Parts: sequence; structure tokens; C-alpha cells
Amino acid sequence: MSGQNDREVLLSLRNVEISFDVGGKHKFKAVQDASFDIYRGETFALVGESGSGKTTIGRAIMRINPLSAGEILFEGKRISGKLSKQDDMNVIRSIQMIFQDPAASLNERATIEYCVSEGLYNFHLYKNEEERIAKVDRALEEVGLLPEHKSRYPHEFSGGQRQRVGIARALIMEPKLVVADEPISALDVSIRAQVLNLMNKLKNEKALTYLFIAHDLSVVRFIADRIAVIHLGRIVEIAETEELFAHPLHPYTVSLLSAVPMPDPIIEKQREPIVYTETTEEKTGPDYEMRELLPGHFVYCSPEQGKEYLKQLENQ
Amino acid sequence: MDMLNNPVQEENLDNLFERADFDELESERIAAPRYSYWKSVWKTFFKNKFTVGVAVLLLLIIGFALIQPLHSGYSPVLTPNINNASMKFLKPSAEHIFGTDHVGNEVFDAVWAGARNSIIISFVCTALNMLIGIPIGALWGFSKKMDKWMIEVYNIISNVPFLLLAMILSYVLGAGMRSLIITMTCTEWIFVAYFIRTQVMIIRDREYNMASKCLGTKTWTMILKNILPYLISVIMTYVSRQIPSLISYEVFLSYMGLGLGTTNASLGRTISLYTSYMNGYPHLFWIPVGVLALISISLYIVGQKLADAADPRTHI
Repeated sequence: MSGQNDREVLLSLRNVEISFDVGGKHKFKAVQDASFDIYRGETFALVGESGSGKTTIGRAIMRINPLSAGEILFEGKRISGKLSKQDDMNVIRSIQMIFQDPAASLNERATIEYCVSEGLYNFHLYKNEEERIAKVDRALEEVGLLPEHKSRYPHEFSGGQRQRVGIARALIMEPKLVVADEPISALDVSIRAQVLNLMNKLKNEKALTYLFIAHDLSVVRFIADRIAVIHLGRIVEIAETEELFAHPLHPYTVSLLSAVPMPDPIIEKQREPIVYTETTEEKTGPDYEMRELLPGHFVYCSPEQGKEYLKQLENQ
Repeated sequence: MDMLNNPVQEENLDNLFERADFDELESERIAAPRYSYWKSVWKTFFKNKFTVGVAVLLLLIIGFALIQPLHSGYSPVLTPNINNASMKFLKPSAEHIFGTDHVGNEVFDAVWAGARNSIIISFVCTALNMLIGIPIGALWGFSKKMDKWMIEVYNIISNVPFLLLAMILSYVLGAGMRSLIITMTCTEWIFVAYFIRTQVMIIRDREYNMASKCLGTKTWTMILKNILPYLISVIMTYVSRQIPSLISYEVFLSYMGLGLGTTNASLGRTISLYTSYMNGYPHLFWIPVGVLALISISLYIVGQKLADAADPRTHI
């Protein structure tokens, strides 16, 4: 992509398609023709409504969901499909995930020590027991927990604490890319900021790259460098965060942004949400593709529509 | 009102309150006492007086059944009083606790010798079924490839009539404890495996297992650390139903003449022999049946209560 050539691509999705068997010959395409690059050191957000396929993409990167077409490259190497054992181990270590529901994603019958050590055990990332315990202590301290929590069970913790255990468990592997699948949507509003700030702090300390999957635009605006908007399994717009909020081009993005509630009651009352339905906008066609309408700003459209979008932008 | 404006009063208030600093780490501390799974299981189990009573009764019965026959040396082949008419068909009394039977033997000795064999067989068979069934079932639930052919094996084995199989095996292997154990394990394990398979499938795709997969945990580690600890309670329920049901199987097979044979004491054979004297001497029939019921019911109650206590939801 022009204008960003100076940055190193860490993860790249090329025409990724993910489909699920729905019984018989019929297949449901959860994600179609998704292509984007994530640069090293950035926070890339994937935004869309529920059922749009954003979690499916995240899981495809974690190699939980297999691709039905296209490929995923990590540091230039293909990681989709079958891998050699060595590559497989490397990818597992390099890409880690933070899960949505901290209550469901921790093993309730294991102590925090085991939960955090699990990756260390699997890759034998320690020389002796003392080193492993030291690593676990450090990982817990980094996320603001106490070493004495090691012998506790997940159900003894609050939601925010559990999510921080989840973060510690992922980061102890020293990953390069972290896929965060709605990491704060299951948390109490009062501690969302705490977890987000922690994620930002750790990102700077450890030079991480995030793929941040979310549906909450105000959160995404706070944390993301670039945003991809996904609708019904198709990526419709990719742009830098402020650019996207300033000049949303695709009608779906416009409608999504108009749906953000305002804290000011007077403005909130006057806010008119723009409804986007498939009938108001032709969704797809043969000459539809991702087009760079503004520098670094890609929209899924036909050439005529692209011109129309730009004209609308000028008229504003 | 005057009191409020009193400067002396204000001074007192100042003394009452002390400035407290906010300590972030201190707020993470968990005040609750440490949780231990097995300690909580036993605590819950022993809380119920009735359960403890039944458990003590069960231990006494089992202990007695294991020891008493060694002392009495009862064998169905030995009939020292067969020619002594005054020793036959005696009613229960202080001298003959359960009375005597048609050959002048003590019913008390016959019942406990039979109970001993029934208990040994059912415990050994249950242990074997679990040892074979649980690992196979756990793998079966995990592997979709294995599921495809295992389900066919299950269909075949579960459609073999049990009685037919028992008859063939008793002809081939001869009567006796060993052949009875083989009869009751050679097909029974697959039902245990099938049960475990279904349970594994229910929790296999939960988020914490996905998290373990993303951390590179191997299947066996996942079975041991993520799956089986969750199944302790349901496995206990299964065991608590299996032991009494195998006791009645043994009784049934011995009653049919397919069980332990004429040389071994058996509750089933004892009941089947005594059934013919039910009209004249009902105690001959009801005493062994009563002992059988007492063993089965107390085993079932203790097993169920243990299973309940093993469920962490009851630990609060």
C-alpha cells in the first residue's frame, strides 16, 4: 500500500475466505475475500457488528478456523494450511490471543500458576523450577497482580483481574502479535479503561503488535492506529483511525459512526442515526474491489461509486 | 443547630478521621481463605449427617462381608449338617442369626460369603471398565477421526445381546470369578467410553480449551488438566450407578446359572436356591435379598453424595 512502504508488514491476509458447512452441500461463507496488512508495532482494529465475521478472522489467524481460500502470511511466511512442526511451534509462540470472556477462557480447575505457566510448560521455556516461578511472578506483576495470587483459582478473582491473568498468560510467551478478541466487552464498564491502559502500556514496553477486534467504536478510537470495518463477512473500509472518523466513505461506515451514542444529552436527542440496509446500497458486484480513494484509505466499491463517495465528501 | 456550629465539635470530628492513602496493590489482595478443591469436597460430604451415617454403614457392611467369610470358611460344597434334620430350616434366632437353610447351613454365613464375591466382582469390574473406558472415551471425544470408526465399533458391540455373550463366554471360559469378570468388562467398557466421549464433546470446544490450544498444549495434557478435572463429578455419578448395577448383574447371571458356578458362594445363586422355599420359609428368600438391597442402596447413596460434593458449585 502506497505511503506506508516504509513500515514492515507483520501479518498479511490475502483474499481470505472462511466458510462453514451448514449440512448438505450448502456452505456458509463467514468471511469473503478479506485482505489487509498489519504493520509491526501498530494496533489494527477490526470493527463490525455481531455475526460480521470479525472473530472468525481472529480465529483463522490463531489457526482455529481453517481457510477455504486465500492465505495468511506472518513475517512473509505462509501460516495457513499445514505447517512443519518447527514452524507450527514458532507461530504458536509468536501469535497469542486474549479472549473475550475472562470467565470462560480460564481453566476453572487449575490454579493461576498453572494457567500462566501453561505456555512455558508446553515449550519448556525455563531452565528450572525457580526460573519458571520467577517468570510467572514477573508476568503477574506486569499486569498488576500479586505473586501470592499464584495458588488461587480463577473463580476467586474479579472479571478485570481474570482478564489480566489472560493477558499475563499470553504475554509470558513473548509473542510478536497479539490477537485481542473483544478483550473488554465482557468487563464491567468501570474497569475497561484499566485493562485498555494496561494493554497500551504493555504494547509500548514489549514492542507488541495488536489485532484488536471490537464492536465498540469509542474504544477502537482510543486504542487503534488503523481500523478495518467489516460487514457481513466483507471488509468494506480500511483507514487510519482519525481519517476514518473524519471522512467515513462507505455508507456502512457512515451508518456505524452515526450510531455512536453521545454523552451530551442535547446532542444525543438530536442525533439522527443513519440506517444502512442492503437495499439502500448495492452490496457487491463484478467490478467491486478495495480501492484507495484517499491516501491510505481503502473502500470496497465500484469505480463509479468511488467517485460518488468522493463527491459526497467534497459537498460536506 | 447550635451544636453543629460548635468549633469544639468540629475538632473532634477531625480527630476521628484519618487520611488513608490508596494502595493499588493492596486493593488486588484477596481476603478470602485459600480454596482447595479436595478439602472442599470432603467438607461438603461430611456436612450431611445422614450421608455420613450411610457411609459408615456401607463401610461396616463391606468390611464385614470381606472378613466374615474368612472366619466362617463357608463354601456351598460343604454341607456338614445335611443329614441332621434338626438343623434344617431353623428360624432366625440368637444362635442362628439368619436361621439355617435346606441343607442345614447357616444362612448368615452363606449371605456374607455371597456378598463378598459380589462386592469383589463389582468393584474389580467397575475399576477395569473405568480404567479402559475413560482414556479411550477421552481420546474418542477429542478426535473427530477416531469418532468416525469408534461410533461403528460402538454400534456393533452395543447391539450384541448381553445374555447371549454371557452364555457363550461362560461355555468357553468355564464358570468362575475370572470368567465372570471378563464377561462384565469385555463389552461394558465401551459404554463408559461412550459416556465419557459425550461429556468430553460438551466441554471440548469451550473457550478455555481453545485458549490451551492457542498456547500449544498437547491433547493428552488437555485431557488430564482441562477435561478430566471437570468430569470428576459425573464420573463419580457413573461409578455410583455402575457398582450396584454390576452387583445385580452378577446376581442375575448367577441366578441364571451363568455366573460363579456351584463351587463359589454367590448371592445370586443363594437367592435362586432359596426361592423355592419362599412359601414355607420366607426368611430364606428375604434375608439375602434384603442384604443385597442394603448394599446396593447404600453404595448408590454414598456415590451420589460424593458426586454432589465433587461438584464445585456445592462448595459455596
